[in-house]
Amino acid sequence: MLSTPNCADVTQTVSAPHPPQANSAPLLEVSNLAVEFRLNHGVVRAVNGISYRLAAGKTLAILGESGSGKSVSAQAVMGIIDTPPGFITSGSVRFQGTELIGLPASERRRYRGEKIAMIFQDALSSLNPVYTVGYQIGEMFRRHRGASRAEAKLKAIEMMERVKIPLARERANAYPHQFSGGMRQRVMIAMAIALDPDILIADEPTTALDVTVQAQIMGLLDELQAETGMGMILITHDLGVVAEVADEVAVMYAGKIVEQTDCTSCFARPAHPYTFGLMHSIPRSDKKLARLNPIKGTPPDLMRIPPGCSFHPRCEFRREVCFTETPQLRLVAKDRLSACHFAESVLAEEVLDAR
Amino acid sequence: MPAEPLLRVDNLVKHFPISRGILFKKQIGTVRAVDGVSFEINAGETLGLVGESGCGKTTTARVILCLEPPTSGAVYFRGRNIFLFDLDELKELRREVQVIFQDPYASLNPRMTVGDIISEGWKIHRGVIPPAQHRSRTHELLQLVGLNPDHINRYPHQFSGGQRQRIGVARALALNPSLIICDEPVSALDVSVQAQVVNLLEDIQRELGVAYLFVAHDLSVVRHISERVAVMYLGRIVEFGDEAGVYARTAHPYTEALLSAVPVPDPALRGHKRRILLEGDVPSPANPPSGCRFRTRCWKAQARCAEEEPALIERGQSHPVACYFPRIEWAASKPLA
Repeated sequence: MLSTPNCADVTQTVSAPHPPQANSAPLLEVSNLAVEFRLNHGVVRAVNGISYRLAAGKTLAILGESGSGKSVSAQAVMGIIDTPPGFITSGSVRFQGTELIGLPASERRRYRGEKIAMIFQDALSSLNPVYTVGYQIGEMFRRHRGASRAEAKLKAIEMMERVKIPLARERANAYPHQFSGGMRQRVMIAMAIALDPDILIADEPTTALDVTVQAQIMGLLDELQAETGMGMILITHDLGVVAEVADEVAVMYAGKIVEQTDCTSCFARPAHPYTFGLMHSIPRSDKKLARLNPIKGTPPDLMRIPPGCSFHPRCEFRREVCFTETPQLRLVAKDRLSACHFAESVLAEEVLDAR
Repeated sequence: MPAEPLLRVDNLVKHFPISRGILFKKQIGTVRAVDGVSFEINAGETLGLVGESGCGKTTTARVILCLEPPTSGAVYFRGRNIFLFDLDELKELRREVQVIFQDPYASLNPRMTVGDIISEGWKIHRGVIPPAQHRSRTHELLQLVGLNPDHINRYPHQFSGGQRQRIGVARALALNPSLIICDEPVSALDVSVQAQVVNLLEDIQRELGVAYLFVAHDLSVVRHISERVAVMYLGRIVEFGDEAGVYARTAHPYTEALLSAVPVPDPALRGHKRRILLEGDVPSPANPPSGCRFRTRCWKAQARCAEEEPALIERGQSHPVACYFPRIEWAASKPLA
């Protein structure tokens, strides 16, 4: 029988806003992680060296467009990348100080679901259509905790009540297609939090949902996080969702983190031209803008990432150095990381005059 | 007497039968997808039709395009009922009313080149462009939508999502339409690309004076692009007005809830925003609630709401709203523009 994770312990070890102290390892520490997919017609470099830390009770948002590597980086942390074609070529993922990369599959299974859980965008294709939802949620307890079928069923109903699915007892015998999109997402959340994980990775959890349902689901995740003190990695392309829930934001572009900072500073004053561009290309529901100011061009093909700064072909502020030299993610102001040669002037909004 | 609008939709109803049985089909119910919708679009303006999935916004668009026959009601194009058109008139209508679809991957034929896709309409509607000018006009259109005219012989798979949507726009413009129905034209696109397409649609309207019916679920995009907005819920329009009216002087509780649920990209507003969380899901359109359809999820609902359906009329907020208890006071801090 596996030991039950003790949430109180976890919150004690890493509750400081900026872990780690010398003795306590952070809840999750990803460093220099790189993932590539080796395909017949070339190598897709999906993640190219990213590093971040996550503290208990905190939410890190990974913001990026499609093809930025945000989902793949999370799958690498979760350990669900198919090899081949996917290979983790470098880096480490440490959970409370324990290195996860390179663990044998049987060892790794003890972390997946138990310590780190994940929810996906498309709940219908993530659930098995031929089993009842009660059975699928109960599977967590049978597999990881050795519960009997009857015990697992009761636990499943308990979890369904916890994620506020009405009439849980009856609904446990229903199949995924009999649920609405929002309810399905709740089922998936119930499965993810079943074993009280320390980390929840939410990969575009509300992208396929209507706004009113999105608000319900984000509210639920917020409540659960407050109850359990789990750390959350929220992967999304929606700046609005990020602004409402994130503590810290990592902006990804072409497989790299280009800006990382606390949520408020990131929106108030971006330190990377890509973030700056994103902020100015979104329409708002709370005021009418005269005109949107989009980023020109399209995100790069990950098989042919441009040399130098990978954003330079689309950047309004580029100079000669950007074509050849790759900017490193560096500290440009207090608690602010940016991978731009001219981050200081972007931050000071000097570049605006140049446009 | 005011001029006849370009398009007038009058009490449009579209019900789909639910049937059971294979050999002996028996109708056991109806999905009331669109249940009495009226609005008008003037030449050169953008009307936003917004609502959640299943509210009937796409069905409305499909009926206007004559892709679905209506159950009842009428659609007048330049003052004439399109459901009474003969084949020649229908053909002309289909030139004048074009469409841009949501999915730029599924809506372009993968076996046709971009040039063929754009010029296909001219083979049906002869006389719009003489054959000798097809190629030069295709070049112009590609340029207009911001694509490289040298790519005329490429196939759709060689383009990105945003570029494909530009091809869709060029195809819609090829026949010089006066109305383009845009069904979720930017919801499949990335944020940075979405803004490019929104700007393109705005530029084209300014240049060519084409009107848009902009069907979308994204309230922010609809606010940005529309002059007037209709909010739909379960097959009915619940609030209708100009953009400032609907967004800044929101009167219907559903619109209020919908707007409050949209996350605002400004962390400074976190916790300062009033959020109305609606309980449960949208009821089935096969069995809508009696009276006001929103009453089952409404915090203002009273006995009267269950008995009689509120009409879409002005109730003291300068734009029509279908609610007996609309909001009539707004915080002074809320700007009206």
